[in-house]
Amino acid sequence: MDNEFKSNEKLFRAVYPPETAPMFRRLDGSISSAAFADPKGLSVDREGGRETKDAVSFMQSRFQGRIIYVRVKNCSEIGAVVKYLPSKSDPYHSEIHGSEGTALLSKSQRRHLSQKAVNVY
Amino acid sequence: MVVAKQMDVRANIKKYFDIAFDGEPVIVPRKENKNVIIISESIYNELMANSRMTSYADHIGGMIFEKGNPPGRSVDKNMTEDVRAFNLNKLEKISELKKGWNGNGALPLPKKLIKRVGALLGALPIQPEIFPTALRTIQFEFDNARRDHMEIEIGMDDEAEVFIARYDGTESFENIPVSAEAIDNRVRAFYG
Repeated sequence: MDNEFKSNEKLFRAVYPPETAPMFRRLDGSISSAAFADPKGLSVDREGGRETKDAVSFMQSRFQGRIIYVRVKNCSEIGAVVKYLPSKSDPYHSEIHGSEGTALLSKSQRRHLSQKAVNVY
Repeated sequence: MVVAKQMDVRANIKKYFDIAFDGEPVIVPRKENKNVIIISESIYNELMANSRMTSYADHIGGMIFEKGNPPGRSVDKNMTEDVRAFNLNKLEKISELKKGWNGNGALPLPKKLIKRVGALLGALPIQPEIFPTALRTIQFEFDNARRDHMEIEIGMDDEAEVFIARYDGTESFENIPVSAEAIDNRVRAFYG
């Protein structure tokens, strides 16, 4: 894997531990944009050529909670930046930032991603 | 979601009750589609509360205030009290969030903010959906019949940030004072 992201690549995110995940479920079943507000940048796992079930299984081995994904193009169409930041324990780790210089997503960006988010587990 | 045959459930009932208690619904397929789902009491209570909230959201979301109609007259007050209780209960859970609650070092929400939001919820005639953020704020959300969406972010500042995403794709931002009166006026304008 390198720093290049394909526009259709999925970015998986665990929406918090199980005890807090229901707090972010809206009445229509979607996830509140509040779940996309993180001053440190939104931590995700890139698809990285894996099947969705393998990516989810890998996330579940480290996180608990609801797993969703957005696509790279959902980020680029609102000017958000996806950064590939692998770690020793997670070779797929990436972050979605509001811009090159700002980690926090804007309200508009958070709303957009919350509407594009797809539940996988 | 776990799927288990009726025979299997009968033979291992404790196992499946434990699975359901731990938050995983168990589906038991039966002949003629007479399927049942085993869920925990806490999930059942959550579903019931969400069902009441959904009815309220439909009620408020579909409401357009008529000109000259005194504010508040159109809102079903009994329904509002149910939802207020739901929100205050959720606020209590939000107040119990510990450091790192978002899995990325988020701090607990300030007690003063919880108190402030509690007072607002106690006074607002039209209740929002409420959500905590890792920015140490609480977000109020409203949706109207036009499919516009409004967020009001309450922090410890004197002003709250209002963000509106309209059905036609346009967006707007504004600041309003953090008071029940100012928020109520903005909410009524949003539904009007």
